[in-house]
Amino acid sequence: MTVKNVHVDVLVVGGGIAGMQSALDLADQGYRVALVEKEPSIGGKMIMLSKVFPTLDCCSCITTPKMSAVAHHDNIELLTYCDVQAIGDRPGGGFVIDVVQKPRYVDIDTCTGCRQCEYVCPIDLPSQFDRELGAVRAIRVPFSTAVPQKAFLDIDNCILCGKCQQACPVEAIDFAQQPETFTVEAGAIILATGFELTPAGAKAEYGAGELLNVVDALVMERLLAPTGPYGHVLRPSDGKEPDSIAYVQCAGSRDKTLGVEYCSRVCCMYAIKQAMLLSGALPLADITIYYMDIRTFGKGHEQFYQNAKAMGIEFVKGKVARITEDEDKNPVVRVELIEDGSKVVERAHDLVVLSVGMLPGYNPKSLYGVPVADDGFAAIPAPNIRPSVTPKPGIFVTGAAAGPMDIVDSIVLAGAAAAEAAAYLEEVRTPSPQRAAIEEAVHA
Amino acid sequence: MTLTREEAKQRTAILKQVRDQHQETVDRTRARLKDQQTVRRQICQQLRGGPKIVPEIAEATGLPAHEVLWHITAMKKYDLVVEVGQCGEYYQYAMAKETES
Amino acid sequence: MPEPRSNGDVRIGVYVCYCGGNISDVVDCEQVAAALRTLPNVVVARTDMSMCSDAGQALIETDILEHGINRVVVGACAPSLHERTFRNTIARAGLDAGLNPYLYHHVGLREQVSWVHQGNPQKATEKAIRLMMAGIAKARMLEPLEPTVLDAEQHALVIGGGVAGLRAAWDIARRGIRVTLIEKSPFLGGHMAQLETTFPAGEDARAALGDLIDQVVAHPLVTVHTRAELTGVSGYVGNFQAQITQQSRGVSQGFTHFAEAAEVCPVEVPDEFDYGMTTRKAIYRAYPGAYPDLPAIDWAHCDACGKCLSVNGTGLDLENKPATFDLNVGAFVVATGFRPYEPRRGEYGYDEHPEVITLPQMIRLLALAGDGPDLLWNGRTVKNVALIHCVGSREIPGVHEPQPDGQVNDYCSRVCCTATLHLATELRERYPHLNIFDIHEDIRTYGRGHEDIYTEAAANRVGFLRFHGDERPDVLPAPDGDSSPLLVRVKDYLTWGEELDVPADLVVLATGILPSPVDDIISLLKISAGTDRFLLEVHPKLQPVETAVPGVVLAGTAQGPMNIQEASAAASAAAAKVAVLLGQGSVKLEPFVARVNHALCDGSGECVAVCAYEDAITLQTVSDNGQTAQKAVVTPANCVGCGVCVSACPNHAIDVQGWTLAQYDAMLDALAAPLPVLESAT
Repeated sequence: MTVKNVHVDVLVVGGGIAGMQSALDLADQGYRVALVEKEPSIGGKMIMLSKVFPTLDCCSCITTPKMSAVAHHDNIELLTYCDVQAIGDRPGGGFVIDVVQKPRYVDIDTCTGCRQCEYVCPIDLPSQFDRELGAVRAIRVPFSTAVPQKAFLDIDNCILCGKCQQACPVEAIDFAQQPETFTVEAGAIILATGFELTPAGAKAEYGAGELLNVVDALVMERLLAPTGPYGHVLRPSDGKEPDSIAYVQCAGSRDKTLGVEYCSRVCCMYAIKQAMLLSGALPLADITIYYMDIRTFGKGHEQFYQNAKAMGIEFVKGKVARITEDEDKNPVVRVELIEDGSKVVERAHDLVVLSVGMLPGYNPKSLYGVPVADDGFAAIPAPNIRPSVTPKPGIFVTGAAAGPMDIVDSIVLAGAAAAEAAAYLEEVRTPSPQRAAIEEAVHA
Repeated sequence: MTLTREEAKQRTAILKQVRDQHQETVDRTRARLKDQQTVRRQICQQLRGGPKIVPEIAEATGLPAHEVLWHITAMKKYDLVVEVGQCGEYYQYAMAKETES
Repeated sequence: MPEPRSNGDVRIGVYVCYCGGNISDVVDCEQVAAALRTLPNVVVARTDMSMCSDAGQALIETDILEHGINRVVVGACAPSLHERTFRNTIARAGLDAGLNPYLYHHVGLREQVSWVHQGNPQKATEKAIRLMMAGIAKARMLEPLEPTVLDAEQHALVIGGGVAGLRAAWDIARRGIRVTLIEKSPFLGGHMAQLETTFPAGEDARAALGDLIDQVVAHPLVTVHTRAELTGVSGYVGNFQAQITQQSRGVSQGFTHFAEAAEVCPVEVPDEFDYGMTTRKAIYRAYPGAYPDLPAIDWAHCDACGKCLSVNGTGLDLENKPATFDLNVGAFVVATGFRPYEPRRGEYGYDEHPEVITLPQMIRLLALAGDGPDLLWNGRTVKNVALIHCVGSREIPGVHEPQPDGQVNDYCSRVCCTATLHLATELRERYPHLNIFDIHEDIRTYGRGHEDIYTEAAANRVGFLRFHGDERPDVLPAPDGDSSPLLVRVKDYLTWGEELDVPADLVVLATGILPSPVDDIISLLKISAGTDRFLLEVHPKLQPVETAVPGVVLAGTAQGPMNIQEASAAASAAAAKVAVLLGQGSVKLEPFVARVNHALCDGSGECVAVCAYEDAITLQTVSDNGQTAQKAVVTPANCVGCGVCVSACPNHAIDVQGWTLAQYDAMLDALAAPLPVLESAT
């Protein structure tokens, strides 16, 4: 690996859908972009999803072409498995960013992504990509549609047996790799650092993550995905095909006890979408959605909700107070039926899905000097007119780093951040047009 | 591909050096691998007797059903186990042909 | 039926995509691939979970480089989604292999097969094989094509001077591209100017808007025309001719006696700025501080009596002289905005009881109300206010009466919940003794900081009642003796479906968002609207602000309900797309246009007669082997490839490139050919 020093117009931090879109919108305009991603592949959370609302397009049909376009774009320098370590101001404007390339222990230029190393690796580990339901090997191509389609070694979960090295047909494995630091010079930065989900253990009332058949919605995305761990929708406790599935809405949002008072915007729609997909995968299953308000506010979303109702998905306005399990590990939901005299009942299901919320994933204050608001997402001083502009000149924000939002809103805001960054570059590069005009008038 | 003796020696040396650096995680992972192998032996023994569903394997081995499911899922991914059919609300699994012997 | 013939050196790679289950759940993709493998010229036939992924595309690249594939057929989603993706794949591999990206055919196996034949996998698989056979038959006859590259006018036309149009214009200009912004009304600002404060932060709406307007109008690359409308369009992306018609303002620079002129003007009409709750004169400004800093004459109402001239005629001209001018622009940004839903007469008592008003009216009412301790309406002190959500939104087909155009407004208008609660908070602050009732179906305070507004309203003693969408409340006159004139009867599901009567001195209808009526712009630009009447994007995720017409992008609420923040973001995203299109100074046009075989053309001109596009096909004198003759000639930039000329030509001299008659023949033969016999199941 060679130490590279990268000069670009814009550094985009984060290779999820928002970061990729900003990078593409800038690169297509002719700007040079570096896209830095901490994971070994770009794709973010979106690439983990099954199908996307409201069009029900297969998720990889939307994500993977963008991933591919990023990887092949002449104007984009893709830096995967890299961390931003330090940022300084560049004399005369812009930023100097120290980036660490974490060792993959695989030479990325040599590796062909054949996965022979993965097949000989003896150790199976819980797959984060499959939300721990499936397995990965210590050395692996991150997932089937990863970009770059190259192996990396998880050295912290490796016994260093060397079998992969023997199996590699192109001698790509290099145990001697070390972290390498290089600098990126950029005129502007776009933060697309995304979000995290409500942690499994957040709510003691919902079993604190201990109940095997109470899963979060991202688990269900993996169960529904054609590349998912089981290849079917099965419940994790014993592999049974569930007959009765319940969704608990606002499980982590609009909840003062968790300090998350905001609405996460996407949960109503993803729950309805999953319910529809489940009706297709398990036609006989009963599906219930316990909710407080159904917030299907986006374009085409209300119609989607009405279709779900017409398909027989049961919507119950009720506050779920507690989830326990019976002796067969069936989750038992204790719910106050608000529209039925606030009667409190207990209902057993085979599987319960928590519609977990979007939490801030990253605090950009110390490294980027961008403060966060009370909700923990990046502060945006003029949200109405300049929704992607942070208090720090030259640093812009997009996607869920700017607050919970769905894919469409992230893609649109990514375009906005690209426009802001481009305008910023032009204004820094050339004297402000107003001044140029004044000067022109003076000289004329 | 063939390595010269010198190259092979160098490789071994590097591997050893890295192993020393990561002694703690290597030890931990080795223990994990050992557990994994024990569990896998039990599961495979059951599957050699014919296709089974997860609760059957769990009952026969005394392993928790969710652990059995995880190992089956792992082995299925790497072509060691195949799904052969459905039995009520459960799928049945069997050893893959080439690993059966 | 003729057997498909092998075509010399043609080596076809065929790829069948699972589409992540979207196709493979119905179609047996492996069987499709196996069947196609047997066909002449097919060198490889592969499947993949998602062909459009990098790994899937790499399959094609490898086959081109290693197996000498020189034609590619992919069966996947609709061509509109990923035809270009795969052309780019071929172009990339083609750099080394010298392969032209148009040696590609895309077969839609998702929309045309798996999504429409879910109940019949066997037949679906057969249909998939047939469609692929037709694609392969066409692929045998594909020829290299080159896109037309033309200079692009680095100038965008933004239609609409509300916040979205302003924001788009500003971003395009800051990027270094010239912008002309046209606004139909005499003043910039759109609906945002009618707000006092904005959620979530309570910011002064007109101050924020004013700052933006100042930035836009001061930018040397921006030209603003008010009272201007798009009245004609020709040309194509990068080189449109836009015809703009501008009404006179009636008032020019130097006019300084607005107050006096308005004073003497005898014409008094409802002021649309206050939604008809106040009046204005025929010489007017939308609001103090409106841009431009000049009043305008309302031609629809001015009777040219000349009283204003008698005050001081300098700068006044009471004759409207509409002027028309042309602009050469590379792209359009459609930011034509919305109009608030106007309830029908009798809908919740609207237009029957004066105490029933809309949310936009209520916002103006509060702006006009002054500082008194009581809210007054219709001469009474208001003690009870009922706010009803979802008026003109979330209507259910079969339950609610369709709108006059036959449509049911079945969408959520997105902004009304938060706007209503923002209003409730203001009401509470200004009138602490008021009883406020919020009557809703769901509360959708989804945005950042919006939930706080809901929480605050709840803490501020706003009483919440909830109805079911199919059991909307009724507004009724109160029985004699009640202190309030109206009551709202609501089956409230927060109190177990009990029917409650809520007293109301004022009923505020949270009316939804409808697109501005822009049928003329839709037909001029040849864009389309969805069933919800809003302008349609190509794809919500792949091309969220682009229309199907290259060079026409959407900004703001013309596309769907949005709040200010969302409209700003959409407008900036639209600006980014304009910069992509025009920033490089040239545009590429697809080569799917007509071409004339001059050996067959007899110059009959029948093609010219049927062509709907100006100068797309013309008769010209051409010389051939020393002989000159009249022949049809295509101007690729003006041709859309519709094929009408092809059908009109008596000599079969015209073909649309990429879709020739011979290719169609081959496809039809293939569709009718027997299915290949499989040697054995795979």
